[in-house]
Amino acid sequence: MMRILSWWAERALLLFICIVVLFPIAWMFLTAFKRPIDAYSLSLNFTPTFDNFVTVFSDPWNLGDMVMNSVVVASVTVLIAVPCASLAAYSFSRFRVKGRKFLFFLILSTQFIPAVVIVLPFFLMFRQLDLLDTRIALIIVNLAIVTPFVIWMIKGYIDAIPTDSEEAAMIDGASRLRVIKDIVLPMAAPGILTSSIFCFILTWNEFLFSLILTRRDAVTLPVGLVSFRTERGDLWELMSAAGVMITVPIFIMALLIQKHFTRGMTAGAVK
Amino acid sequence: MRDRSLQYYLLVPGFLIVLATTFYPLAYSLTTAFRDWDLTRSRRPEEWVGFDNFIRAAGESHFLNSLWVTTIFVVSSVILTLIIAMSLALLLRRKGRMHTFTRIILILPFAMSPALIGVSFRFMFNPEFGVLSNGLAAIFPALEGTPWLASPDLAMAILVVTDVWHWAPYMTFMCLGGLASIPRETEEAARIDGASNLRIIFGIILPQMKGVLLVTAILKTIFALKMFDQVVTLTGGGPGTSTETLAYFIFNVGFEWYDMGYASALAWILTAIMMTISIWYVRMLLSERKMATA
Repeated sequence: MMRILSWWAERALLLFICIVVLFPIAWMFLTAFKRPIDAYSLSLNFTPTFDNFVTVFSDPWNLGDMVMNSVVVASVTVLIAVPCASLAAYSFSRFRVKGRKFLFFLILSTQFIPAVVIVLPFFLMFRQLDLLDTRIALIIVNLAIVTPFVIWMIKGYIDAIPTDSEEAAMIDGASRLRVIKDIVLPMAAPGILTSSIFCFILTWNEFLFSLILTRRDAVTLPVGLVSFRTERGDLWELMSAAGVMITVPIFIMALLIQKHFTRGMTAGAVK
Repeated sequence: MRDRSLQYYLLVPGFLIVLATTFYPLAYSLTTAFRDWDLTRSRRPEEWVGFDNFIRAAGESHFLNSLWVTTIFVVSSVILTLIIAMSLALLLRRKGRMHTFTRIILILPFAMSPALIGVSFRFMFNPEFGVLSNGLAAIFPALEGTPWLASPDLAMAILVVTDVWHWAPYMTFMCLGGLASIPRETEEAARIDGASNLRIIFGIILPQMKGVLLVTAILKTIFALKMFDQVVTLTGGGPGTSTETLAYFIFNVGFEWYDMGYASALAWILTAIMMTISIWYVRMLLSERKMATA
């Protein structure tokens, strides 16, 4: 048997890795349930309280508005990007479109463009159109990042579906659109769901666009974090409570697609 | 409808989005890069200035500093992430209940918002009540009173640590995928011949992982060059300008100084750097593939 480490050393190492990964997360969750005085002590001996959550959801913080903004921006982005991307991915996967290589390269190359390059002109355009500080602006900009990425991901999933049943259905006289609707979409559904969740996570965590394009009305959760830095200093217990609100839904989603999660970007990249 | 036309129609919605949200703004910012446009002076772009914005960058110490900071950050975070990810993958590829549990736990950092990671590490390294600063001082008394985020070198080190914490788990999954795809036969033959574990790792496994590691390195380099969120929430570019990366500097020029022309020119310099590095990597990858198949 190949062992560099003894059985115990290996277990100890794994435990250490788990602690390194979980500790910062656990500390934030603990702090979220501490009273302000306890938050500034390192003691684990405290009475848990929900006060911080009550505080962040009431005036002047109004975290509820930010939660709404984040939910709306991320959901609408997914609802626009995923259907459009699925169609394009199918075409890339099944047809030899003229200039296919070039088009696909074009899509991939957008991943190498830093977000700052995109956001500057958008800031100027939205200012002209009076769209600064709106959810629409955020949705449009997020589409720029997410769409090419989802096309790439979904193409990987469709490539993995064998074409036999599609061909059989077409010999039986089914049209291509019917084949897509009745055969390909159901088979690609797990992959499309995984891509949607990926897309949701990316948009949900997006920081730069929201920082630049919103001020008050359309602020999303990650930028909301910064508002707990006040003249009185950083309000860590409130930041942690907001952090828990950002983190919990995403963790649930990530764990739901756990099995497919790792294939996501990897599938396209390693091939 | 015939397939011939359908194949294009299917591409239309996706491509319209990409064109409108990526290529149009790109063109817009490219033209802005050759103009003088101070937003505090004028709502419209002012006169064309040719390459002035780029020439200005070449001579500005602020910009050169951000290039240097970015280089240090990218090199250290890419190297550390790759080493840790590859080691974790070698450790985790075996079956076992604790291995599986660790693999699941590793999903969490990648799903976490980078801005939030910055905030929580800032809290943990607070010199007065940070749990890590105090914890480290308790274990190593010499570290008592270390001004973690107030010292230029340590602030950079912490920035790298947060980035590695965020990315190494995800890159581990890429390496695990690579490990799963290489054939086990040579490894087992070598074991029967009595080769040591380290020889198997360095002589047999790692050479076959070159392609995967290169792809991982490309992706990590790109993400590291773009890294922005943690600079804002963890260090704010400071102390001084010691953690002011190029992406953060561009943000400052654009949205603190409102110098749109200069900011666009800098943004294009960053794009050019990223493109050059990507092409260079892809070339290495292609020649690697050729060698592998030959």
